[in-house]
Amino acid sequence: MKKTNPSFLNGVPELLVLRLLSRREMYGYQIVDEIRTQTRETLSFGEGCVYPYLHYLEAQKQVSSQRREVDGRNRNYYKLTTRGGKRLEELTSEWKRVTAGVALLMEGQHA
Amino acid sequence: MRRRLVELGCPVAHVRRLVQEVADHREDLKQAALSEGLSGADAELSANTKLGDPLDLAEQLMVALRRSSWWGRHFLIGFCLLPLLAVPVLWVLLLFLGLALAFALGYGWDVQKLHVAAASPVPFHHLVIAAHIADFVAIALVTLLFCGLARRSAVSLKWMVTACAVCSLYALFTRFHLEPHSFMLGIAPSPQWLRAAVPLLIAGAVYAFHRRTIQGFHENVLG
Repeated sequence: MKKTNPSFLNGVPELLVLRLLSRREMYGYQIVDEIRTQTRETLSFGEGCVYPYLHYLEAQKQVSSQRREVDGRNRNYYKLTTRGGKRLEELTSEWKRVTAGVALLMEGQHA
Repeated sequence: MRRRLVELGCPVAHVRRLVQEVADHREDLKQAALSEGLSGADAELSANTKLGDPLDLAEQLMVALRRSSWWGRHFLIGFCLLPLLAVPVLWVLLLFLGLALAFALGYGWDVQKLHVAAASPVPFHHLVIAAHIADFVAIALVTLLFCGLARRSAVSLKWMVTACAVCSLYALFTRFHLEPHSFMLGIAPSPQWLRAAVPLLIAGAVYAFHRRTIQGFHENVLG
């Protein structure tokens, strides 16, 4: 299988999905679309690839899902759980630490 | 995609849900393409192209499913080491639970009565039979347990067979020996073929069930 991310980007899809779901509940297509739109197409999931992440997060009890009908369409809606909220805080803090480190190096500042 | 998921050992209930979600996603992609002004056929084509190869998608879904459980992430410990520990532990548990039950029902927790019975060869003979039954039941239950765990965590059939083989090897080369007031668990002086056959028979039955599930699923769902 094709690997698209170097190891330091592992956890980014999880972070993005949890961040979006912390704002409101969404279904798979919406998540993919929002990531593409909000990152101005800098980042994008392969269309079907979001489901492995969603199912993984659900198995970890970080998100929960419910199938229901909205506007005549049945879809699985995902929302963040309390555990997911905690995981989001951890990932956000880790992401800020990594990006701050990279920024320091890029700007040529070192101790 | 459905066929590939089943072949890879994905639980059937999970297959239905995954396929449903991907179908929903495809419909959303198609609707988006239609709203951009594409014709019906072009919208279908665009949706399929964006969704990618269904076989690749099935593989990715299975990787995610395996990663989501402890058993899927630690299959070497889970399916090679733990069965070796689980069989003797379960055997001892079954034996002592059985003995406690017999003590309670037969002797009413009267230690004096138990001492009298222990000196008699007939209750001891019954105890040896119970120990053998507990031994076979423990081997069979552990094999079934690890087959079930392998199926649930969607690890490949290879790991299910590995767990059965480990149980079989354990059964082949170990034995217990009971004497009044003592018992011993250790290496068997000669291979225990009958014990070793139990996990292999279970492995065969589980494999046949797996094949039947796939075949039935193909016949019922795929047509």
